[in-house]
Amino acid sequence: MIETKLKWHPIAASDDLAPRHVFDAQLLGQEIAAWRADDGFANVWENRCLHRGVRLTIGINDGNELKCQYHGWRYSNRSANCTYIPAHPADAPARTVCNRKYTTREKYGLVWTAIETSGDVPEISLLAGVPSAPLRAMPINSTADLVEEMLSAAVFESAEDNRWSEMSVETDPSGAITFTGSSDKHLVFFLQPLDSERTIIRGVATGIGDDDIAGLRHLNQCLTTLRAAIEARAAQQDRVDPMQPVYTQVEADLATMPDRGEGSVNGIRVRVASKTMTANDVARFEFVGLTGSLPTGQAGAHIDVHLPNGLIRQYSLTNGPAETDSYIIGVKREPNSTGGSECLHDTVREGDILLVSVPRNNFPLRRDAVRSVFVAGGIGITPLLSMAKTLENQRLNYELHYFVRDDDHVAFADKINALTGKITLHKGLSPEDTGKALHRIYNGPQNANHTYICGPGPMLNAAREAASHCGWDDGAVHFEYFKNTNEIDDSSSFEIALARSGQTLQVKSGETVLDVLRANGVSIASSCSQGACGTCKVAVIEGDVDHQDVHLTDSEKRASAYIMTCVSRAKSDRLVLDI
Amino acid sequence: MLQNVNPTDPVVYNLWHVITAVDDLTPGVPQETALLGEPLCFVLSESGEPIVWKGKIADQTSEDKNARVRAQLKYGYIWVVLGEPEFEIFDIPEYVEDGRRNMNAISVGLNTSAPRVVENFLDMAHFPFVHTDLLGEEPHTEVSEYDVDYNPEEREIWATNCWFYQPKASAASEEGVLAEYKYRVPHPFCAILYKTSPDDDTRLDAIAVLVQPLDETRVRAHLLLSVIDHQNELDKHIRLFQQTILGQDKPILENQMPRRLPLNPRAETPIRADKVSIMYRRWLRELDLHYGVIREVA
Amino acid sequence: MKLYDFELSGNCYKIRMFLNILGINYDRHPIDFFPGNEHKGPEFLAINPLGQLPVLVDGTFQIRDAQAILSYLAAKYDDGGTWYPTSDPERLGEVNQWMAFGDMITGTASAARLHDGLSYTQIDVKAARAGAHRLFRILDEHLWFAEREGRSWICKGDTPTIADIACFPYIMLALEGGVSLQDYPAIRRWTDRVKRIPGFTVMSGIFSAGAGVEAA
Repeated sequence: MIETKLKWHPIAASDDLAPRHVFDAQLLGQEIAAWRADDGFANVWENRCLHRGVRLTIGINDGNELKCQYHGWRYSNRSANCTYIPAHPADAPARTVCNRKYTTREKYGLVWTAIETSGDVPEISLLAGVPSAPLRAMPINSTADLVEEMLSAAVFESAEDNRWSEMSVETDPSGAITFTGSSDKHLVFFLQPLDSERTIIRGVATGIGDDDIAGLRHLNQCLTTLRAAIEARAAQQDRVDPMQPVYTQVEADLATMPDRGEGSVNGIRVRVASKTMTANDVARFEFVGLTGSLPTGQAGAHIDVHLPNGLIRQYSLTNGPAETDSYIIGVKREPNSTGGSECLHDTVREGDILLVSVPRNNFPLRRDAVRSVFVAGGIGITPLLSMAKTLENQRLNYELHYFVRDDDHVAFADKINALTGKITLHKGLSPEDTGKALHRIYNGPQNANHTYICGPGPMLNAAREAASHCGWDDGAVHFEYFKNTNEIDDSSSFEIALARSGQTLQVKSGETVLDVLRANGVSIASSCSQGACGTCKVAVIEGDVDHQDVHLTDSEKRASAYIMTCVSRAKSDRLVLDI
Repeated sequence: MLQNVNPTDPVVYNLWHVITAVDDLTPGVPQETALLGEPLCFVLSESGEPIVWKGKIADQTSEDKNARVRAQLKYGYIWVVLGEPEFEIFDIPEYVEDGRRNMNAISVGLNTSAPRVVENFLDMAHFPFVHTDLLGEEPHTEVSEYDVDYNPEEREIWATNCWFYQPKASAASEEGVLAEYKYRVPHPFCAILYKTSPDDDTRLDAIAVLVQPLDETRVRAHLLLSVIDHQNELDKHIRLFQQTILGQDKPILENQMPRRLPLNPRAETPIRADKVSIMYRRWLRELDLHYGVIREVA
Repeated sequence: MKLYDFELSGNCYKIRMFLNILGINYDRHPIDFFPGNEHKGPEFLAINPLGQLPVLVDGTFQIRDAQAILSYLAAKYDDGGTWYPTSDPERLGEVNQWMAFGDMITGTASAARLHDGLSYTQIDVKAARAGAHRLFRILDEHLWFAEREGRSWICKGDTPTIADIACFPYIMLALEGGVSLQDYPAIRRWTDRVKRIPGFTVMSGIFSAGAGVEAA
């Protein structure tokens, strides 16, 4: 029998993948971790954490993510993207940290995979359209060739009820060994070569129910007897060297010590699956991928949406962990819309195709806080919903404060009602009462507390002031502005030196640092172009930055370690950038 | 069964390695072990001298001068070198300091390579997940920035200014502390950590892992303690704490694939917390060490 | 209550886990099994002439042997009477049958672990590993059919028994003796279920399982 990496093999029975369990499998020398998420999806991955090579079969399946036992790295259902690295809780992992996935199908009650994808699971006519039950898998210490030879000569006749007698045996072109019986009682066997000298027989029987314990026991007994005979002969054969597993290499950019953030600019085409009103003036959009599930967004991530009118706008994802069937965003109709929200509300319809970016995360959620406080104003609820669900999934406590005008302005009420954390609605407060409420929220001892604020500018400023007034450390207050309402002053001119590439460039008045970098062939990811989202952040080695963004905290601005290249400039004559 | 690996790596072949702790040896009673795929026998003479020779006890080669292996006692262990030693055994100055208790906490067999054991010993980020409630606990998982240096004269890596929150940092701890660690790698298969002593905050406890490579993917790890501890009356309480810790590392180490440490930077994914391991892997590459590592760029 | 104990011993762990499940407080009296060899010293031999751990002292009553201690604790302190069903002869027989099986696992999987981990070079490790695999094939088949019949535990009934406790530790630690559980999927699923028993505790070498679906 010729085994190739292109061939499909069963590696488990479907019910081997029990809830909250990680199944230990192997195929052609490759170790495999298979786990079923709570949504029913069967993940079949290389059995190895990308960080330090620890087998994922000793990790924990929490229903949505697989957590490595060594350093607690978390990998998402479906996408296998790493969503969290506990050693650096303030950083968003690079999106490209992604485990090796194998293509998977479930058919005949078995979980199938191929090391390299080609074609599909074999069609077995005996099994087509009839109920069948998988037999207990029979692992055998023998080469697949010997198993195939001796299995083909096996007898399964039951003396008690004459079942499985006088069967004709054939080897299907796919390699399956079929035993055709007189009535509807057939047996089909697939071989799973684990390694050169270890093989599993996976049988499927037709005309037998899952509850026919006597029948299953009889067939299992026949296979057990067959195993003893095969292993007795295998022991006489010459030893064969084990197969050498091939370990997947990580992307070149992950091989060195990583920086913070990420920079992919690839777009994804999505279809508007639904558009509904979730609150007064707030439309809820659900985008689905044109080809299968979407890249995982970490808690706090946003996407760029390319609109039919040519504009690009940023919207936070409300998705919880492992929700990659679709992206769900909320769009508020802005009275002074410059064409973004208006276009989404008035022009974009269900069924339309749009281009969106992969999720970027400039608003990462730490999961090492003793107290996590989410403060939302209006449509600012969206990234905080995703954060709340993430902490909930890990059974971590949080409190969510939602400031809204009235009940009609509560967006995503269904999602909020589904949360089990401490939720407080603050309705119709004056600016003065809002300030008082915020002070009450931020009062109290501060030990490993973190707060995340998203909302309209004035409310966000009030929250930052309240936290600061209550003694919160700048580094514990995380925020995301919708937009930068500052008047941008681009009148200065100065020089930038690029430390790594050795170039020196001039930025004239009216130009942005980002424009000049791009004009000189330096590729920098950017998103909002107004100093709000944080995508175009670059490290500064030397020089005094004229910060005009709303992304950096005040202490970050004082430290001048970073610049938002889309709006900020230099106070000094020259900036040295770490690019 | 030993893997049949010839000691073709002169770097490790010419280094001193530990083969046993001497604490519990009865003079005159020979025992068997292995080093770098080579079966060895050892015995303490009546006068306490270590005698080590190649082969099995049944081979009766103890009197064969050609089978003899260079050996010495140091820090409570028998050290041997199969080739020509280029360097002396590294210094552990704490071992002779007043007021310290020195002991071998445990010698444990591990089905992995020596560099994997050393690298795990240099790692703080796993404390909350592997040594839960002792050396770490969730949600205190952050590894803050620390410093790493290679000292070419001493041929040693140092990691300093390492801080980590620990609920029970040692056998003598009663409450959680922000513990300070320093790490020192003076030998490709040995590392020492220094941490705040709960009994004397002006001094540091020293814990060394001395890895004996039986072959490329099977080792014995010997844990040498040199600690300040006035609270635990019996050595066994101090030892038991370290045995618990090493027992928790064991299933991690034995589930790390591949067993040999890959030196190709694209084999695994380092993060900033892995600064010291990045330096360690680079050092092994530069030493031209082959034993227990995967060098090729696949 | 006092337990003569060694952290890395799976047999001692059976008792620690079961005491925790029953909610009984006790004192741990550590014996320096390795490298100290204290269990073979005169002081401990006076307590247990077999020189084996664990030994439990409950008031004036003293008892050795992990399986015997489990049955004593269950009979005396399990008010529900489910862990050691003394009033149901068939289940009681089954529990004792699988407790003896647990002893055979100790004789094989634990022996291989002592060879690999603590340099017990006199042990025939090949035979020990082969013996462990022979037992695991039997248990895996048993548990696979138990799952088909809607049962979660080794013995009949809806609740775990001390047979589950007696078999668990050296199965979980089998890889330390070079015995992989990859061929035994039903055993691996059962170990997750044991880890989710309320009151379950870990030992060095065994991690907890995380929450099950029921608790979510």
